[in-house]
Amino acid sequence: MTDSNDSPLSETRSPTGRRRSDAPFFLVMGGISSCFILLILLLLAADLKFTSMQEFKAALMKPEIQSAFRLTILSCTVAAVLSIWVATPLGYLLARFRFPGRLLIDTIVDIPIVLPPLVLGLSLLILFHLPIFGWELEGWLRDDVGFPVTYRWPAVVLAQFSVACAFAVRTMRVTFDQINPRAEDVARTLGCTRGQAFMQVALPQAWRGMIAATTIAWARALGEFGPILVFAGATRMRTEVLSTTVFLELSIGNLDAAVAVSLLMVVMAVAVLITLRLLGTGLTS
Amino acid sequence: MNKMIPIMIGSIVALGVMGVMLGRVGKRSSIETGGTSASGDPNQPDLMLFCAASNRAVMEAILADYAGEYGRQVEVQYGPSQTLLSQLEVSHVGDLYLPADDSYLRMASEKGLTDEVLPIAGMQGVVAVKKGNPKGIKSFDDLLKEDLRLVQADPDAAAIGKVTRSTLTKAGLWDSLNEATTAYRTTVSEAANDVVVGAADAAIVYDAVLHTYPNLEFVELAELAPTASQISIGVIHTTDQPVAALHLARFISARDRGLKHYQDHGFRVSGGDLWSDVPELKLFAGSMLRPAIEDTIEAFQQREGVIVDTVYNGCGILVAQMKAGQVPDAYFACDSEFMEQVPDLFPEPIDVSQNELVIVVQKGNPKEIASLRDLTKEGLRVGVGHEKQCAMGWLTQNTFREGGVQQEVMKNVTVQSPTGDMLVNQMRSGSLDAAVVYLSNAAGSGEYLDAVRIQGLECSIATQPYAVSPESANAKTAGRLFALICSVDSQESFAAEGFGWKLSSDTGKND
Repeated sequence: MTDSNDSPLSETRSPTGRRRSDAPFFLVMGGISSCFILLILLLLAADLKFTSMQEFKAALMKPEIQSAFRLTILSCTVAAVLSIWVATPLGYLLARFRFPGRLLIDTIVDIPIVLPPLVLGLSLLILFHLPIFGWELEGWLRDDVGFPVTYRWPAVVLAQFSVACAFAVRTMRVTFDQINPRAEDVARTLGCTRGQAFMQVALPQAWRGMIAATTIAWARALGEFGPILVFAGATRMRTEVLSTTVFLELSIGNLDAAVAVSLLMVVMAVAVLITLRLLGTGLTS
Repeated sequence: MNKMIPIMIGSIVALGVMGVMLGRVGKRSSIETGGTSASGDPNQPDLMLFCAASNRAVMEAILADYAGEYGRQVEVQYGPSQTLLSQLEVSHVGDLYLPADDSYLRMASEKGLTDEVLPIAGMQGVVAVKKGNPKGIKSFDDLLKEDLRLVQADPDAAAIGKVTRSTLTKAGLWDSLNEATTAYRTTVSEAANDVVVGAADAAIVYDAVLHTYPNLEFVELAELAPTASQISIGVIHTTDQPVAALHLARFISARDRGLKHYQDHGFRVSGGDLWSDVPELKLFAGSMLRPAIEDTIEAFQQREGVIVDTVYNGCGILVAQMKAGQVPDAYFACDSEFMEQVPDLFPEPIDVSQNELVIVVQKGNPKEIASLRDLTKEGLRVGVGHEKQCAMGWLTQNTFREGGVQQEVMKNVTVQSPTGDMLVNQMRSGSLDAAVVYLSNAAGSGEYLDAVRIQGLECSIATQPYAVSPESANAKTAGRLFALICSVDSQESFAAEGFGWKLSSDTGKND
């Protein structure tokens, strides 16, 4: 037997009473949530306290940091766009179809996520320099194609892409998992090919997921450090991105500059993430 | 039209545009950082230096000078020493490797990844504390106090950690320090950073690391005195531009170029050559050594891009020249006796090879000479080295004396020459019946002459020492020439010329 006053649908309580009873809920939920928000804000506050505006400006004025900034923006964006190009079809295939080896492919996609970053960088380096019957990928790209990769900007993009794409695939797969395939099936019964159903039905519905995947890929690429250091190196004005700048400044005890560059990365990340989210919201609406 | 199509096309166009922009990032850096190469060849590829991240500040200052002086670009890969070592092991690219300390270069050398090693600077293990030493650390026991937070670099990952553990283990102090250590950090910089941010009160670091930490100072402890380490730069084995690589390595290790910056950045420097774009190395060498070393010297000149001005002569004459004021950078004597005559100039000779005196006779030995005693035969025309002008002459007289035939043989001596080669030539022209020369002098004339061994007289064997003048402006370069003389190829040349090898095979490396 249920007491009608205890029912959540009950309308017998006054609005004031309902508000009073909701207060503990919001207090607990908000309290727990704010711990994390507070931690991040405290981290940023500590960074700001450690450095000064002059230090921040001085860091921004350095040509090598400006170069690292340009390279970071460009390489992260290229890695994120490439990731979404790869992640969308791969996520769709994994979500929609049951085929032999699907479980294996699903697992392989996760390898860059679980692999220690330095190992990923080392693996890339080995791949490009492994002699196969006297033939070497890097040697061929450098000498025959004229497009050297190792210790050049393509290595930065490839290192970022390798990790970022794995996250993007995971996001796109969840996105397509959550979209009911019924609409695509209906479209096919009305004469659409599988390709048309994908392009005209599935993809427009996955737009928010694609924005989220791009955002995650870009953010992962920005924070990537280990594989870049090993595969692309940290040559000033050439392959140095902001994450390696922080490492290099720390290595020589230049904490002020390291913190200033870290804050610059925070500003960059916030700006790009907000832009992407606004873009996503605008397009969806 | 499906709205996805323009977005997809747009993203491809954007990728293309960004690819072009990325390509220009590298090109722009080339324009900003330099011009043409030192050799004047604009097509010469950039040098690639793998450099420990801890050396970045000093290296950027040195490379700025290098670019200013020679317009040569250097691509530097900064990173942890072990990571860099793994990179060059896998990729087999690059020209120079400069790790945080010598232990990594030894590893690289053992793996055959590096060749020449040029010493640069030294560092000393110390205790880093905040300015003013607020915890009052003065002795080793102060590090063991309970209220002190001590951090160290990981003994398995960082050089200072490794050398601290090894030093203190020998002294029986490691266990107590290990127990008193609050945390181990991956790199020496992380340990110093902990003191800066207040996460630790003290850290064991290299003194040179603290140059960039204005808020820290260091305390030297007697127990840490043996933790001194050396920084050196190695030439990567697979480099295809050794002359350019060594040019830069010499610039970095020159006392009036790179070492000045190292000193300014808190490193301990000593020695180092004086800078010269193309150094001219003066080598005095006994004539007997010529066939054994001339190819090696040529190879050295080609690889290093230096000039070796070698003066071959009888060692007596060379000693006289040195006593008259001519001081070469290095001296390779025919026998220790002639090195011992210039101890002030060359205090630390190293014995390299041996050569024995033999009696050379005409092919088929028509005069039937089998021993020193046979040189006393009536009417025999004998040639020997000049006692005052060459080691061979001095050694010959010693041998005659020891053999008890000096006076009788000297009656038959018709020629006294400053070099063994001249005696061999006279033998071949038929103007002598026998001559006492080094086996190496006769090595190339087996077709025309026979050699008779002198039995039972130890004094007939000459030992050839090599020494570098400590006053030389090119002492390190002369040291590298010595390393090449000690190489396997060079040892084969010595053997082919009749010399015996006296030096252990690993001597001469890494200097």
